[in-house]
Amino acid sequence: MSGVTGQGPRTDLLAAVEQVRALAAKHAEETDEAARFPVAVLDELRTTGLLGLLVPAEYGGLGGGLDELLDITMELGRADMSVAMIFSMHCQQVAGVVHHAGPRLAGELLPLVAAGRMYLASVTTEAGKGGHLLTATAGLTAEDDGLDIDRFAPIVTGGEYADGFLITMRSPEARSAGDVSLVYAHRDQLTITPSGDWNPLGMRASHSTALRLTGRIPEHQVVGEHGQFRTVVLNTFGPLAHLGWAASWLGTASGALSRVLRLLRSPDGRKGANLDSELLMTRLSRSRQRLETVHALMRHTAEVVTRVRAEGDDLSRPRYQMLINSLKITASEECHRAVEDLIDAVGLRHGYLKGSPTGLERALRDLRSAALNYSNDRLHLADGKLALLDAEVRFA
Amino acid sequence: MDARFTELLTPYLPYLGDRELTADTPLREYGLDSMQAIELMLSVEDTYGVELPDEQLTEETFSTAGKLWDALSGQLGGQGSDTAPAADAV
Repeated sequence: MSGVTGQGPRTDLLAAVEQVRALAAKHAEETDEAARFPVAVLDELRTTGLLGLLVPAEYGGLGGGLDELLDITMELGRADMSVAMIFSMHCQQVAGVVHHAGPRLAGELLPLVAAGRMYLASVTTEAGKGGHLLTATAGLTAEDDGLDIDRFAPIVTGGEYADGFLITMRSPEARSAGDVSLVYAHRDQLTITPSGDWNPLGMRASHSTALRLTGRIPEHQVVGEHGQFRTVVLNTFGPLAHLGWAASWLGTASGALSRVLRLLRSPDGRKGANLDSELLMTRLSRSRQRLETVHALMRHTAEVVTRVRAEGDDLSRPRYQMLINSLKITASEECHRAVEDLIDAVGLRHGYLKGSPTGLERALRDLRSAALNYSNDRLHLADGKLALLDAEVRFA
Repeated sequence: MDARFTELLTPYLPYLGDRELTADTPLREYGLDSMQAIELMLSVEDTYGVELPDEQLTEETFSTAGKLWDALSGQLGGQGSDTAPAADAV
């Protein structure tokens, strides 16, 4: 592995990544139109081994790290934001297993992921808890031969296509709503009842429908200790989610800018646009500037997370958590605005109509979800509290 | 932990019930959320007239009553949780 940031996917994976990206680009319009999960692209992620990107080599995986995750997610985002989100969120779940599962569960699960036979979905949403990630309403019930799951989740990305699920539930002995366990359940161990339609503004191919999950799992399928979901979030899910989402959004906006620039440079484009226009130049510049900001913040965050882990320091420190949250907020705002700048730059025909080679219309709809996908409002509340804990204002 | 400390801490733990507050009492499990953790910190600082250094303000520090006491007593002249109550040091 190159280990160098900003150099693109590591060389041995280039062909695989390009294969998936090309297929994602081919299917993007159709899966968006029909709000259909990109099954063919998922199959390509399976056969190329990329689903096992973060699985350590001793389990047969690609042994990739954060840099590879960001590089590949950005590439996929250039073609289709739904695909990038599906991929990066799966990798986030895998990292949860790698860092927090006991040896028995890791030994059962990780070889399957590496072999492309395990696409993992995340089940953290729950009706009536107002988007609070760290609380759960439905509780696990301890039985003699395992733990009973009975759980409704309003939004599960790719849930109907997943081979396994990481699910948050209140611990069997929970005293408060914050006493949350993370458990793994294999598709075979569950009865899965989908409900409701999926017909959103954007992210249409992510097919994030509602599911009811019931079943029984053995005790060793608890990831981390009972009640320790918070630890998984602070150390793994939080950083990986925000980094992976930022890479998806930055990839999407970068793809949009790239297609606009190619259009403007083409002979036909030069006929339609005035490259002497100062307004056009300013808008292109602003769009690029926004992406530079997100890129720098994303790489810096990845570097800090990698360093803190290597040094065995504590990622829960306010200055690290504020950096990780700031990345999410900034990326969600700036990537969306960068595409809005581009729409203003090229106008109605190439900015607003479906079917333009710029793809700006779909990129804007997809990126509108970014501020809502774990709400920025909620993150600002968390960061406000964290700011009070860092009166010296030290940066990571 | 001195009496003043347990008295100060108890209202932040609504699920503690009749159980005794010990150094091992897990604070989050008994109901301390992140906003209350800040109020608790400010209240500890006011009561003991100290400022907890930013370095100490981690998840770990707020994980159990004993850990928080350790962080506090570190500011009260280096007395740990198994030494004499530190209240007189203020």
